[in-house]
Amino acid sequence: MNKLKIIDANEAVGPDLESQWITRAQQGDQQAFHRLYENYHRRIYALCWRMMADKDSAEDVCQEVFVQLWQKISNFRGESKFSTWLHSVASNIVLGHIRKNKTWLQRMFSIEEQAVADTVVEMPECSNLDKKIQKLPERARLVFVLFAIEGYRHEEIANMLGMAVGTSKAQYHRARALLRESLSE
Amino acid sequence: MKESTVENKKADDSLQAEIAQLPKAMTPARDLWPGIEQAISRNAVTSAQRSARNIFMPTAWAASVVAAVLLTWLTLSPEPATKNPAIALVAAMQQDFQQQKHSMLVNFGTPDIKQLPIAMQTELIKLNSAQKTISNALAEDPNNSDLLNLLRWTQQQELDLLKQLYSPQWQNI
Repeated sequence: MNKLKIIDANEAVGPDLESQWITRAQQGDQQAFHRLYENYHRRIYALCWRMMADKDSAEDVCQEVFVQLWQKISNFRGESKFSTWLHSVASNIVLGHIRKNKTWLQRMFSIEEQAVADTVVEMPECSNLDKKIQKLPERARLVFVLFAIEGYRHEEIANMLGMAVGTSKAQYHRARALLRESLSE
Repeated sequence: MKESTVENKKADDSLQAEIAQLPKAMTPARDLWPGIEQAISRNAVTSAQRSARNIFMPTAWAASVVAAVLLTWLTLSPEPATKNPAIALVAAMQQDFQQQKHSMLVNFGTPDIKQLPIAMQTELIKLNSAQKTISNALAEDPNNSDLLNLLRWTQQQELDLLKQLYSPQWQNI
């Protein structure tokens, strides 16, 4: 008997269909934009949830991402894959949101806010590793998510987070060490 | 030493395997679309109003200029306009204009002007008021060609405005 194959929504939608939705959304078609939302919102939500380590904030920021996407979609020129461009837009919005919510003291002295300590929200798709990632300190978590999951280079991460490339690498190794330790418990 | 390196390597591999298996997507607990839809619809209305305002700016200026010219003309006119009951031309112009306006509005499905944004309603009121003032002035001086031209011009402005407001190409903004 054949094994059931799980079909990813992004793989199921052909590039032609997607580019039609993009073009129509760029012309102001909300239905086409809704299709794009249907296709991508779960991925963007996962990105927001991992970076923010908070369910409610992740939902709010995910909404903000799509509202801003509606305003900026005409900037998409097709020079990269739409998903890559969208993830980049989303990552920057999440980082902007995190920065905005930092206190003056935290910004001035780069004081790290600890991630959600013990109250990790259980979600159906939430893996054991996800629970551990949520408990990482903020900067280590952001670097880890952007590098290991989103596939950014340290140079890009350093630029996005306003830190040195070496710091990004150090934070990544710190995150890995903490995760290894946490997973072996 | 060697043992700990091997253990580290093992833990690293295991972590790498877990990273590879992380779900790419997660489902938010609530439906996020209604909020997004509301926000983008509001944006669409705001930008449509903004572009409509841009379109009507020149008209607003023009209407103001007409009003100013009229006021100056009525105030500084060297001699009072002679009374003349022959206003047939003016009446015909008004009638022709009303017919054009009526058929245009019927073509656009007899829209309710009150549904328009306040700024646009104000423009229409200004043009209407300018036409009334010119008509009153023409009742006093029906042979004044400048006034006749002004009346024709304001009527055309109102027709153009209605066309811009209700023709399908502007509805798509």
